[in-house]
Amino acid sequence: MKVPYRWLQELVPVDLPPRELGARLTSAGLEAEKYEEIGAEWDKVFVAEVVSVSPHPDADRLVLADVDAGEHRLTVVTGAPNIAQGQKVALAIAGARLIDAYADELKYKTLKPGSIRGVRSEGMVCSEKELGISEEHEGILVLPPDAPVGAPLKDYLGDTVIEFEITPNLVHAFSVVGIAREAAAITNETVTMPPVADLTGIQPASDMVRIDAPDLCPRYSAIVIDGVSVAPSPDWMTRRLTAAGLRPVNNLVDITNYVMLELGQPLHAFDLRDLAGERIVVRRATEGERIETLDHQQRTLATSDLLITDGEKPVAVAGVMGGVNSEVKDDTRSILLESANFDMVSVRHTARALKLRTDASARFERGLDRELVWQANLRAAHLVLELCPGSTVRTWQDVYPSPVTQRTVSLPVSRIAYVVGMEYPREQILDVLTRLGFAPSIENDTLTVTVPTWRSDVTIPEDVIEEVARIVGYDALPATLITGETPRVERDPMFLLEREVRDALVGTGAFEARTYSTVSNEAITLWSSTETGGLAHAVRAEQVVRLRNPIRADEPNMRVSIVPRLIECVAENLKHERTVRLFETGHVFIGTAPDALPNEPATLGMAWAGFRDSFDRFNTHPGEADQIDFFDVKGAVELALARVGLTDVAWARHAHPALHPGRTATVSVKGERIGVVGEVRPDLAKELGVEDVRLVVAEIDLSAMLALRARAPRPVITVDRFLPVEQDFAVVVDRETPAASVEAAFRKNAGPLLTDLVLFDVFEGEQIGADKKSLAFRLTFTAPDRALTDAELGKVRKRIERGLTTEVGGALRT
Amino acid sequence: MQRTEHGLSQEIDSLRVEALEKLTALQDATEATEWEREYLGGRGAVTALLRGLGKLPAEERPAAGRATQALRDELTAAFAPVRDQLDAEALQRKLTSDGVDVTLPGRAPAVGAAHPISQMIDELVEIFAHMGFQAVFGPEVETGHYNFDLLNIPSDHPARDVWDTVIVDAPTEEIVLRTHTSPMQARTMERIDPPVRVIVPGRAFRFEAQDASHEWMMTQLEGLAVDRHITLADLKGVLQEMARQLFGPERRVRFRCDFFPFVEPGVDFSVDCAVCGGKGCRVCKHTGWLEIGGAGMVHPNVLRGVGYDPEQYTGFAFGLGIERLIMMKYGVDDIRAFAGNDLRFLRRFATTTL
Repeated sequence: MKVPYRWLQELVPVDLPPRELGARLTSAGLEAEKYEEIGAEWDKVFVAEVVSVSPHPDADRLVLADVDAGEHRLTVVTGAPNIAQGQKVALAIAGARLIDAYADELKYKTLKPGSIRGVRSEGMVCSEKELGISEEHEGILVLPPDAPVGAPLKDYLGDTVIEFEITPNLVHAFSVVGIAREAAAITNETVTMPPVADLTGIQPASDMVRIDAPDLCPRYSAIVIDGVSVAPSPDWMTRRLTAAGLRPVNNLVDITNYVMLELGQPLHAFDLRDLAGERIVVRRATEGERIETLDHQQRTLATSDLLITDGEKPVAVAGVMGGVNSEVKDDTRSILLESANFDMVSVRHTARALKLRTDASARFERGLDRELVWQANLRAAHLVLELCPGSTVRTWQDVYPSPVTQRTVSLPVSRIAYVVGMEYPREQILDVLTRLGFAPSIENDTLTVTVPTWRSDVTIPEDVIEEVARIVGYDALPATLITGETPRVERDPMFLLEREVRDALVGTGAFEARTYSTVSNEAITLWSSTETGGLAHAVRAEQVVRLRNPIRADEPNMRVSIVPRLIECVAENLKHERTVRLFETGHVFIGTAPDALPNEPATLGMAWAGFRDSFDRFNTHPGEADQIDFFDVKGAVELALARVGLTDVAWARHAHPALHPGRTATVSVKGERIGVVGEVRPDLAKELGVEDVRLVVAEIDLSAMLALRARAPRPVITVDRFLPVEQDFAVVVDRETPAASVEAAFRKNAGPLLTDLVLFDVFEGEQIGADKKSLAFRLTFTAPDRALTDAELGKVRKRIERGLTTEVGGALRT
Repeated sequence: MQRTEHGLSQEIDSLRVEALEKLTALQDATEATEWEREYLGGRGAVTALLRGLGKLPAEERPAAGRATQALRDELTAAFAPVRDQLDAEALQRKLTSDGVDVTLPGRAPAVGAAHPISQMIDELVEIFAHMGFQAVFGPEVETGHYNFDLLNIPSDHPARDVWDTVIVDAPTEEIVLRTHTSPMQARTMERIDPPVRVIVPGRAFRFEAQDASHEWMMTQLEGLAVDRHITLADLKGVLQEMARQLFGPERRVRFRCDFFPFVEPGVDFSVDCAVCGGKGCRVCKHTGWLEIGGAGMVHPNVLRGVGYDPEQYTGFAFGLGIERLIMMKYGVDDIRAFAGNDLRFLRRFATTTL
């Protein structure tokens, strides 16, 4: 809400600089978000009187004006049609910075004396547009007759508009008076309420207003005024409305808006002629009932909406917007002023249903004070009588079926310190609450406060505590440490697992990414549908978690796989990187049942591409063999698994339509599949933006990993005392025999002395025969209690040789 | 012909002369090894002489043996300094020829890094663990019940509009992407009895347009402490400790009144700007303060909603944006960098320890 500072000062005598008051109000919970200076540029503009106007000797449309601003008395040449002797005007002298009224966009120019058609002009009489007050440039700005001649215009007309953020609890501060009350409380001043009409002696009506839905309309007041004349509002009012962000319309409409800003109560003025029988009936709409609102839209209503009618037809949507059929027109002579209270939930519901949030609905849906209704109507009536000379109040009615009950809240005085952690003297508690309009008393250590009706937000002791704390301020609040028992801190096992996996992968040179949790339909079809078998997870169509209002229309699903996003990041990075190793751990989403929360298994995704080593003097001519491939990612996954104690890992060739048929594998631990590692098909990779290098992806189900880890026995860590013995074996097997089978045969037959095994060479060639391959292993043997002898190892070697022959048809090369 | 001692001594003399002569002519370690083999080795000349002793008459053998042994000792003694000298020369040559340009770049190991958000979460988890707070985690897709209702944000209340919500397509239930990590307040309190001290790092989502300072997906840290007599001053103490661990021991925390439906009293909290010490600079937009998050005393309705007695227990809760914290600490000027995953950004956090 925008508040011109001068308006605020009219209600409460504060003389702090606007920004200082703003900062203090912010500390007390009313955030001053923005400051807008009106007249910041008016350094050389003064209030002046037009002493005389004479014709220009050489131009019919120009005049010479003798203008007196006290210290400055100048002759200016002007074409303003409305200039006249005796007017108070804004005079700019040489050096003044003014807005160029003829420029298309906002542009300042500095005023220089010059000659116009042979007559020297030493200054300028300004239009509102040139001063930045409005777009008005037809004529010059004419100031009220009492404007002080010679005063800098900045002092007379300048202002600071403070924009406050009105959080949902701040209905009591959603008005200039409300903000004035806050300002008064923190500066120890008093608010002066604006004058209202006195209806003494005027006969109230008894059947003008009828409320058929008292549950939705606790109060409705109407004042009928005859003899009004529709005209533009006076300058002071249009200026304030404009500064507050509202567009002036005419005096009657402006008054309703002005009072809404001033007191926070929305009002409406009906043309009395358009109310059949000159009466008001407040009722629920019938299903499908229609009304054309002031914005010229046809609105269709439901029975939950509240209507203002004249008994025959709807004339306004209660609390939201008036109807075109009864709006104030140029020839309106009699009006009915409405000031009413409507149910906050109902107004909110209607405004949402109609997609029509108005200044009025924004206030009603926060819950307005019923007591404000009549006061606001009297205030509006006062302004109508003032701005429409000769107008009179004919009659009025105030129907108030559900009077507000005054609320009291009680709490032990000690509760304040118990919650805040700081003692407040009793006099201070009473003083602060009184200044805010509460009626507090302390008896037998119990604080009882009567809550003013405009503070619907104060209902419980904590609310009262906050009132005291916020006005006293939090700067004096000490910073203390929590006392009492410290709860046991348990570390979340998944958090620890993710951290270990992350550490392992960072150690391989990979970077952790964090990507958005949403994906496209295509990504799900390509990677995660049950037809593909998925990566770590696969979903049926109905298991996809879909969004109603996705941020990006083409990404309406929660991710089932992290890989698609990572691939995008790899492609993007490859535009400027030669190596990209990315991984991410996070939730993926798998629907369970309609209306139920999805499962969110923690998942590791990886996408790597590019050259294994950096380009430098050690790797001057990298070739294809130096590109990251399946085995780089496999190695990293193995490292991560080993890091958390999972070593019983099996790899088996796997088919996934997006992945290379010969370079893709499932990863299983203890026979349970936990993920997939594979190279993306080159044609698809190219489509996804990765060309000329292999794109390798992996996805591992971390939740499964955690479960397996919990079941894995904890290995005992020993340091061997005796030196290990290394022996190399080269075994020739059929080319199709998986290396893992050969390795398994080694492990099975090597016995307990085997402590390490490395496959260090794979060779194919004529020497060993077609369709054969040679695998070279280095085995490390260690005994815990002795140095190994040749004889002992010779036996092992024989056993291995036999095992290789029978189990994988292998022959040792010598 | 029988050998005589006389003949042997001549042989010894000539061998000595020959060996010593060759010794002085040795050029390098290889020649030295060759020389040693030729004269002192197992098949060398001196050994051959010793073997030949058996052919002498028995009475001549002792003297001849001593003479041969003396030759062996003499040659061994003469050889040692020559060999040492040649070894030293060889080493010197190697050291000279082996030199490199030490200004050439080293071999670069592949270096990766955790995402800055993970690094910051790790740091926060550690800071709060010291104060007895346990890190807990929860679902990112939530029910309206946990995301709003139990947090004292009833439907049909304008407070609900503050959270622009991404909604999951569900037939009847209100299911949303959690708009904050606060649902874990209720989930935690439903699970355990006081005393409660938890932090909740995690993703949250808003239906919000993106720009340099707004992101629709963000990472938050929630904090919650509930016990008998937890106070707003305790909240200030805990947040001040966090600020000091993160931004330096001089930092101060400021509270200003603010509104969040699930706390009462509610505050926003700022830390005085570490760059200018609170005097005002570009980083703090000349206010001297950097706003970090929202906080307050847990609303009695929230406590009641999970079955805690608000007469007995009080508590505080706070929430902050982790991206914002990193942006402040490291001067990152665009929040979109966090989900951008550009290596030129991520690499910066491989060398900087958060």
